[in-house]
Amino acid sequence: MKVSLFSTCLVDMIQADIGIATVELLERLGCDVDFPEGQICCGQPTFNSGYLKQTIPAMKRMIDAFEKSEYVVSPSGSCTYMLHEYQEIFKDDPVYGPKAKVLAEKSYELTQFIVEVLGIEDVGANFKGKVTYHPSCHMTRLLGVETPPLTLLKNVKNLEYVELPYKEYCCGFGGTFSVKMGRISEKIVDEKVEHVKETGAEYLTGADFGCLMNIQGRMERIGVPVKAVHIAHILNSR
Amino acid sequence: MQQGTIQNRDAFLDTIARKLGRSRLASLEAPRWKHHPQEEFMKGASPDELLAAFKQNAAGVNCEVTVTTKAEVPQTVYGSIKNFGGGPVITWKDARFEEWFGLGKLLKEQLPGENIDVFEWDYTLGQQNIERANTAKCSITISEITLAESGTAVVFCDKDRGRTINFLPENSIILVPKSSIVPRMTQAARKIREMVKNGQPVPSCINYITGPSKSSDIEMKLVVGVHGPVRVNFIVVEDL
Amino acid sequence: MAIKTKFAEDQFKIRVEKKINDAFMRGAVANATDTINGRKRQLIFEMGNWEDWRSHGEEIRHHVLENLDYYLFQFSENVAKNGGHVFFAKDAAEANRYIKEVVQKKNAKKIIKAKSMVTEEIGMNDSLEEIGCEVVESDLGEYILQLDDKDPPSHIVVPTLHKNKDQMRAVFKRKLNYEGTSKPEELALMARKVLRKKFLEADVGVIGCNFAIAETGSTTLVTNEGNADLVADLPETLIVCMGMERIVPTFEEMEVLVGLLTRSAVGQKLTSYVTNLTGPRREGEVDGPEEFHVVIVDNGRSDILGTEFQPVLQCIRCAACINICPVYRHIGGHAYGSIYPGPIGIVLTPLLDGYEDNEELPYASTLCGACTEVCPVKIPLHELIRRHRDIVVERGSKKAPFMEKMMMKAISTGISNPSLYNMASRMAFSAVKPLTSDGKITKGIGPLKEWTDSKNLPRPNKERFRDWFKKHKGGAR
Repeated sequence: MKVSLFSTCLVDMIQADIGIATVELLERLGCDVDFPEGQICCGQPTFNSGYLKQTIPAMKRMIDAFEKSEYVVSPSGSCTYMLHEYQEIFKDDPVYGPKAKVLAEKSYELTQFIVEVLGIEDVGANFKGKVTYHPSCHMTRLLGVETPPLTLLKNVKNLEYVELPYKEYCCGFGGTFSVKMGRISEKIVDEKVEHVKETGAEYLTGADFGCLMNIQGRMERIGVPVKAVHIAHILNSR
Repeated sequence: MQQGTIQNRDAFLDTIARKLGRSRLASLEAPRWKHHPQEEFMKGASPDELLAAFKQNAAGVNCEVTVTTKAEVPQTVYGSIKNFGGGPVITWKDARFEEWFGLGKLLKEQLPGENIDVFEWDYTLGQQNIERANTAKCSITISEITLAESGTAVVFCDKDRGRTINFLPENSIILVPKSSIVPRMTQAARKIREMVKNGQPVPSCINYITGPSKSSDIEMKLVVGVHGPVRVNFIVVEDL
Repeated sequence: MAIKTKFAEDQFKIRVEKKINDAFMRGAVANATDTINGRKRQLIFEMGNWEDWRSHGEEIRHHVLENLDYYLFQFSENVAKNGGHVFFAKDAAEANRYIKEVVQKKNAKKIIKAKSMVTEEIGMNDSLEEIGCEVVESDLGEYILQLDDKDPPSHIVVPTLHKNKDQMRAVFKRKLNYEGTSKPEELALMARKVLRKKFLEADVGVIGCNFAIAETGSTTLVTNEGNADLVADLPETLIVCMGMERIVPTFEEMEVLVGLLTRSAVGQKLTSYVTNLTGPRREGEVDGPEEFHVVIVDNGRSDILGTEFQPVLQCIRCAACINICPVYRHIGGHAYGSIYPGPIGIVLTPLLDGYEDNEELPYASTLCGACTEVCPVKIPLHELIRRHRDIVVERGSKKAPFMEKMMMKAISTGISNPSLYNMASRMAFSAVKPLTSDGKITKGIGPLKEWTDSKNLPRPNKERFRDWFKKHKGGAR
């Protein structure tokens, strides 16, 4: 199956290893992965900050970049949702409106793609440790992907899954919220960190690097020895 | 009834229509809803099932529920009044107290005989009714429609059935014919609409009473009996 | 305008800083909202068809807004037919002028009131006090706040959330010579005694209206304390104040929305009291008002009709969005500086009060979407919050820091221009070196500072993902 990877700009610039794990995982599951060079960023940081007009060119660029792709897969629920949001944004655009619809229909978050499109519930991974999972808000509430990551995690050998209390609470990332309202973000993430500690987990995983970066950044700062790992890493472990 | 006044209406409604991008609507078809979630609740439930649900839900909102029979209503009401610490008692002026519940003797003879003051609402006495309600320890009224889902009595007020009776006294006894229990507010609303369609006036005041007066305004701690009744006793009559 | 509270004088961030260290307030908010949310979740679970309920709620509210002029006409006709008086007020000044006229005609001095957001919005209490009336709030929480030199409410359903019982006791001691303990039952009993007298003495009662029923000209009010009933039943004159959107076609839709409201607001199937009033007392009736007035308030609402923000008028004031909001949870109601806090406040306040003084509010959201998910009438709250941000930017915000505007311009240019992106993303690793220790950015500058004040930030890759991929594949397509 031919799959185009949408790495997200954060992964491209800050955490390439998540992208690498995603590619290795998809290839192992039999996909032919390509990386359309034209992609940069879904535009969410500026779009969510109120710079709609200024973000239009970036979004059009993304639509064009993936025009020839069969499937677009991304290791981020939030950025995948943003691709879906293009439909609404371009609904009155005679050229990009229909294109945006096509893009939305073929775009999947990584775990969603594995379970719903590839029909695989056990990726044959082996990861030793106690793991808890933070479901990011955009992925669950907006994209509507709730169970695929859990299905996959529960089938990982040697992985002990423990549910995160109040897992549906926001972690306080909120994209630019975390730099614009840092003090509030700090209090919100503190509560999330408390819940992570309660689980006794060694690892915190999730399908959105932004949220993981936020929680991990706080845990490091206050000395909580839980390691945040993206779900692609766990699913790619042998 | 004397017609009331309406001021500033046209300019106000014209603005609304303009903002909605059209001219004023002179008529409108009754809406047809796509969703009907309220129909599902206790659909086809038997009277016993309705009673069981009512009991459970009323008890869950700090009410006392006593189930009794027509023959034993006087005794049950008497017990309840005693339990609330006696009189003074205030009731509506309502023939059903005697005709349905057989309470005439209790209210007119037995209680006065025990020096428990019973006042029957009498609109010709005006303000005195409210003074009596304010000093009464216990009120007795009747539920017209009773809601199983929430443990609620629906009471209709009129000149013989004062509103404040249900709010001023410390304790409330509400008589509930078992046959008045319906699944939920849906059936009550429908019944009231039927009244309207049949040309009956809507009562000037309808109260849906679900337990005693309460508040959580102080540190989210439940306090019962803030302004209105502290205790509510529903007396359900099984064979009515 | 009285939508703003006294806290609105400070800049948003200063308000946040003042509140975010109030451990009692934050604990109380977390506890209260968790309690309400938990009860509500249980009820919804038992219902089994909550989404169907929400859809029904939405279709009712949508239909009413689309046909608002019709239903308001029908409602006012029926109020008048029942002997009530209706006044349509286009703004706060008109509403207050009419209310004052009614009060003055009656030569009334003592006013008793039950919780009504719209009277807060129009500043009715101050307006009546100016003409020498005593206005007493009868909701227990509102009464306590009023006694405490008009401390603003911090929540639209539990107004006293920010205050503890010892503070309340101190207020009672100072204002009522109360000598008792701070036990909630004892405090409430004191209030009961004082307020019972006020109910009986009052010349005019003022209540709000959750739902006005067009077909019968009835009003609906939902309370747990029963105070609104005493306000409505005892004084000779009753004034009902309502926002113009608070209307339903018939008793049947009222019933649906009441169920959504009580579940969403307090996690109850029904509150202790729900009351339908239909006109003044009838011939022979002893209690209930002799004069029945309804004041229908626009005050900026009609400007929302026909715009993309129209769905906000679907709101039934349940506060479910407030109770679920992670930002509200940590800053409390006062920090918003508006009588409407939380997500609904963020959407509504700039629309009713203008953007000028409220342009920071839309940024007090993580856009997590929890508000939209819980809204019983399906208002797309987080989307409307985001739309406000577009407008703030388009208007040319004066308060947004220069750095931020520059950064946003830079990002939006960078992410639509590959050569710029390539240059910047390749430089990033080296550029942040001075800010880095142990491979983490710990002391950010400019826009990163707020992040690194409390969190570490990972350093950008030495090799970008796309560069790895090229090597991996021997060239991308």
